[in-house]
Amino acid sequence: MSFGYLILEARRAMRNTRFLIFSIAFPVLLFLLYVGLYGQGNKSIIGVLMVNMTGFGALSAALFSGGRVALERSVGWQRQLRLTPLSGSGYLIGKGVIAMLVALPAVILVPLIGAVVEGVSLDAGGWLRVTVGIWLAVIPFALMGLLIGQIGTPDSMQPIMSLAMMGMSLLGGIFIPVDTMPDWLLHIAQVLPSYWLGQVGRGAVTADLTVNLGKAAFVLAAWTVVLGFGVVRRYRRDSARV
Amino acid sequence: MLTGLHKSYGDVHAVAGVDLVIAPGEVVALLGPNGAGKSTTVDMLLGLTRPDAGAVTVFGSAPHDAVATGAIGAMLQGGALLDDATVGETVGMVASLHRKPMPVAEALRRSGIEDLASRRCNKLSGGQKQRARFAVALVSDPDLLVLDEPTAAMDVQSRREFWKSMHGFTSSGRTVLFATHYLEEAETYADRVVLMRAGRIVADGSVAEVTALVSGRVIRAAVPGAAQAALAALPAVTEVELRPTHAAISSSDSDQTLRALLATYPRAHDIEVTAMGLEGAFLSLTSDDSAMVTNGADLS
Repeated sequence: MSFGYLILEARRAMRNTRFLIFSIAFPVLLFLLYVGLYGQGNKSIIGVLMVNMTGFGALSAALFSGGRVALERSVGWQRQLRLTPLSGSGYLIGKGVIAMLVALPAVILVPLIGAVVEGVSLDAGGWLRVTVGIWLAVIPFALMGLLIGQIGTPDSMQPIMSLAMMGMSLLGGIFIPVDTMPDWLLHIAQVLPSYWLGQVGRGAVTADLTVNLGKAAFVLAAWTVVLGFGVVRRYRRDSARV
Repeated sequence: MLTGLHKSYGDVHAVAGVDLVIAPGEVVALLGPNGAGKSTTVDMLLGLTRPDAGAVTVFGSAPHDAVATGAIGAMLQGGALLDDATVGETVGMVASLHRKPMPVAEALRRSGIEDLASRRCNKLSGGQKQRARFAVALVSDPDLLVLDEPTAAMDVQSRREFWKSMHGFTSSGRTVLFATHYLEEAETYADRVVLMRAGRIVADGSVAEVTALVSGRVIRAAVPGAAQAALAALPAVTEVELRPTHAAISSSDSDQTLRALLATYPRAHDIEVTAMGLEGAFLSLTSDDSAMVTNGADLS
């Protein structure tokens, strides 16, 4: 991996104001809105909403970040990079790091507002889970974005990404909290990595319907391996073809 | 450097046996009509496409290794620039990937775009984009520069300036291979011309040599009362094109043909004799006349 490459990528990510507003302001506003609608002053509900909106902001930012790969492929930037000493893994790791970077604001801001504005109080371990824990749980989504970016075209990015994001959020217990899910939906939810991402934070704010942190970490790690394999495989096939 | 290269895409045999050795310091133009296999050949040379058969070596190693050491710089067709990055950032980033790059400012200066360093790539004109791409190719200070249609989208003025900066690069003994549609560029700037057609090399040599392959000149004259067959029967004539106002007679020995023409048609006037030039060679060698192609291949 190359430091110079990372810096340019980070600068480009920061330059994309629309994307930044979407990934920072959107989850924060949704959080405040949901608390107003459903919070009822109940700390446990507010905590769950905080975790879910943190997860939503982080996973959508990480996911969308990979979509830019589609554009870079189509304009021949990937080909140009392959004529430099930057390796394929260097390129992919760089993309992954940037996806994780753009997921950071949501992971910091939503819990911060939860603590300062909405009065959520957790112990240190709990805060660590809803910030660092959720942030790490976003890794499979960064890879999912990269994979989609390598398969789709720039024109198809918007619909595919929206579909992936909404599917993950709606069915994975992010927008519809697991508490209110019918049983059949709960079964579907457990197939998705977003369910397990939610669980990483959920355990810190409530004991209801939670799973063991180790199990969530294991499932997410498995998703990471599968998606990581997919990304590398797709990149190799792409390189051989072009 | 290229031996027995073959590459097929489905049923299309894009490159069908290319052998080419380029010596260090040569400036080689790769010419051919669309679909001749130029870009595929360039891609294989750069290691972007793997040949189905045959081998590529660049300075004694595989293309991939030559790329990794920064020995090859390339300017590809198409975009290859990021809309949301500035020219300076793009060139600077590519420089940071290489071990021994030239200073970014120098690459920009040599490409004639030092004043555009802080301009976003999506705000560049077509010609400026080409020069930004040239700077990207140049910044690794490569020994071999490969340019795929470098002056497409440039106006005459920028094209001239581009080749001027190119000249500065080649005079330092670097090797350059460029694919182009502009015969005039090949004629003016290349030491050597390689003509491709249907995935094969049909001619290879200096501009003079390639032109000589299609030996002869064209005589244009108004010839009152001349018939196609009669003109074709004149000595050394290879081809006759009869138009309402004049005849175009291709000849392998224009002196002989002209004497015979004037002897037979004393009233012939407005006579003009021109060399075929590279354009003529290009047209005949890359036309679908397969006899001519075999002929060209034999001579090369």
